[in-house]
Amino acid sequence: MDVIKKAIEQGRKMLSEHESKKLLAAYGIPVTKERLARNVGELKQAASDIGYPIVLKGHSPSLAHKTEKGLIRVDIRNEQEAIEAFNEITENVENNEKAVLVQEMIKGQRELVVGLTRDPQFGPCVMFGLGGIFTEILKDISFRVAPLEKHDALEMMREIKGHKILDAVRGMPAADIDALADILIAVGRIGLENDDVKEIDINPLILQGSKPVAVDALVVLDPNGA
Amino acid sequence: MDNKKLQNMRYLFNPSNVAVVGASQNPGKLGFHVMKSLTQGGYNGEIIPINPSAQEIMGHRAFKSLDSYAHDIDLVIVVVPAKFVPHVFRECANKGVKGIVLITAGFKEIEDPLGAELHEQIRSIAEDAHIPVIGPNTFGMINFHAGLNSSFTPEFSRIRKGKVALVSQSGGMSHLMGFLAIREDMGFSKIVGIGNRLNVDFAEMLEYLSHDPDTRAVALYVEGIDEARSLLQAARDCTKIKPIVAYKTGSARVGDMASASHTGSVAGDYDIYNAAFKQAGIIPVVDSQQLLDTAKALAHCPIPSGNGIAILSGQAGPGMAASDVCEKHGLNIARFTDSTQARINELLPPLALRTNPVDMGPAWYDASAIAGIVEAVLNDENVDAILLYMMFASANADAIERMTGLLQQWNQQKPIISCLLSPPGIWDDQVRDLEQKGALVNYPTPERAALALAGLWKYANKPQRFNKLNEPNKPNEPNERIDPMTLID
Repeated sequence: MDVIKKAIEQGRKMLSEHESKKLLAAYGIPVTKERLARNVGELKQAASDIGYPIVLKGHSPSLAHKTEKGLIRVDIRNEQEAIEAFNEITENVENNEKAVLVQEMIKGQRELVVGLTRDPQFGPCVMFGLGGIFTEILKDISFRVAPLEKHDALEMMREIKGHKILDAVRGMPAADIDALADILIAVGRIGLENDDVKEIDINPLILQGSKPVAVDALVVLDPNGA
Repeated sequence: MDNKKLQNMRYLFNPSNVAVVGASQNPGKLGFHVMKSLTQGGYNGEIIPINPSAQEIMGHRAFKSLDSYAHDIDLVIVVVPAKFVPHVFRECANKGVKGIVLITAGFKEIEDPLGAELHEQIRSIAEDAHIPVIGPNTFGMINFHAGLNSSFTPEFSRIRKGKVALVSQSGGMSHLMGFLAIREDMGFSKIVGIGNRLNVDFAEMLEYLSHDPDTRAVALYVEGIDEARSLLQAARDCTKIKPIVAYKTGSARVGDMASASHTGSVAGDYDIYNAAFKQAGIIPVVDSQQLLDTAKALAHCPIPSGNGIAILSGQAGPGMAASDVCEKHGLNIARFTDSTQARINELLPPLALRTNPVDMGPAWYDASAIAGIVEAVLNDENVDAILLYMMFASANADAIERMTGLLQQWNQQKPIISCLLSPPGIWDDQVRDLEQKGALVNYPTPERAALALAGLWKYANKPQRFNKLNEPNKPNEPNERIDPMTLID
């Protein structure tokens, strides 16, 4: 995958959020509509193409945890707010690339996490669980060793304690289980087909209605991995 | 595993004769205890002690070396120091020995790199000669159906022969399981300590045991594995024929470190092992007792065709305890058909719950009513398996006797797992008799019984399609699951 090769040539250990999502999209995983904007002109264009409300994120290949650095602005509803947010964010970004990721805002209360890790014994393993800020606190997760089959994906989703979140609950529609299963299988494939990929974090994967969308993503590289 | 090596494994476990290199008269040496195990274990083949300074050991003529024994030797047990082992292995290769149990330690697991060198040296001798080796660094192995105790613990022979094969990475755990089994009145087909796995690892044992007619279920004790993918593939192939239940330790940090030095390998993360086991159709358990309990049920019960459970209890309490366990583990408390329920209502006064779970307490004085209820429920189409509980209470002393004929005749057409508990010496013989006739499988507590049934259901419910690990895109092929009951007499 080009986006991986480029990063490795540059000596980087991670893909940016935008690059990570390109990788995911190449494997059929639904991601947010988004564009990079390097200046106000590009910002206005991107925002109008994507449609308000939008989210702006400070963009840099070395940013792993954006919320902690005050680099996200959500629910931006018009151009005025967008420009203000752009200026605030780019002040805080420390490197030369003063770019901002302009992203559609996904509305959904249910946040899931999907990940990939490379186990020294078993190779690439896919993780699924409750996402968002509770991921590390609840650790309500399940694993399967890649390659995953459909029944593996379905089983692992039912295994987490909070699995009922996938049902039609509290007025929200049931999650599209097939779409979720496809995502889990695809993440496994990324691990099997790209030895340079060490870890993947899709958190949150938000259910917009019934449809899962990857809202944030991180791909960690290890050029010596196999 | 190459064909010759697999063939040789059959001779390893069923040898026509056994030599002991390092046999000894001295109780301070392991070679003494190995000889004791062989001679006292009921083995019918020839026992050949190899010891350059003895004429005979424990009544068997001793030889100076393997070469000085004129005929072929099937199995050699090696219990001499590590530095002599390469020479012994070369002798074995020259002599066409078919299997080796290498009890000696001091190879990969010690810190001295010389150990690892020796390990590699003997490994290549064994592989070139297609000789399967159990060990090194093991207590040995026992084949109960051949009266063959090739270990340094003669008391393993007190365990009765059965249908579960235990393959263990720890000697200590093997002794634990073995002696616990005696107390639980359970038997084994084989107990194998794979030790430091020279060229026989879990994968090779599973391949061999898949076709071992003495074994109906396999129990594994795992600390860390080197060849994870080949284990998973071997497990997927094996579970198509017979069930595997596995207990893995080393999830705690401390455990992990002990694992690394104990087996010289890198242990993987607990969650991932659990996942990998499930994907391979292996049933994971969380402690030693559960390993035995689940293996016992898997070896002695038919596979249920569904998860509809009937709980029949002589007293309400144990039945309740069981219901809780059942619900937690995906078992369904079945709804009886109208005719079954009507029959139960005839036999039980309306003093307690007559629907499932059934409290048979009100009929405590009437053993034939109890038998009638059991019979009706056995024949109910919504019921796939039965949990049968009875606590002894003087007035119901003949309850087991009254059910014996029916249970024997029924012969577990559907699994019957029981907790029939009395003070020692009262019902023991009757229950043991029923177990040995295959009429039911008994446990000391209602929860253990329910959990064992849950294990049975886990095996019944596993996905039928297992693709090879290297071919993620291959279309699924329907696999016929072979009912292990049909493989044995």
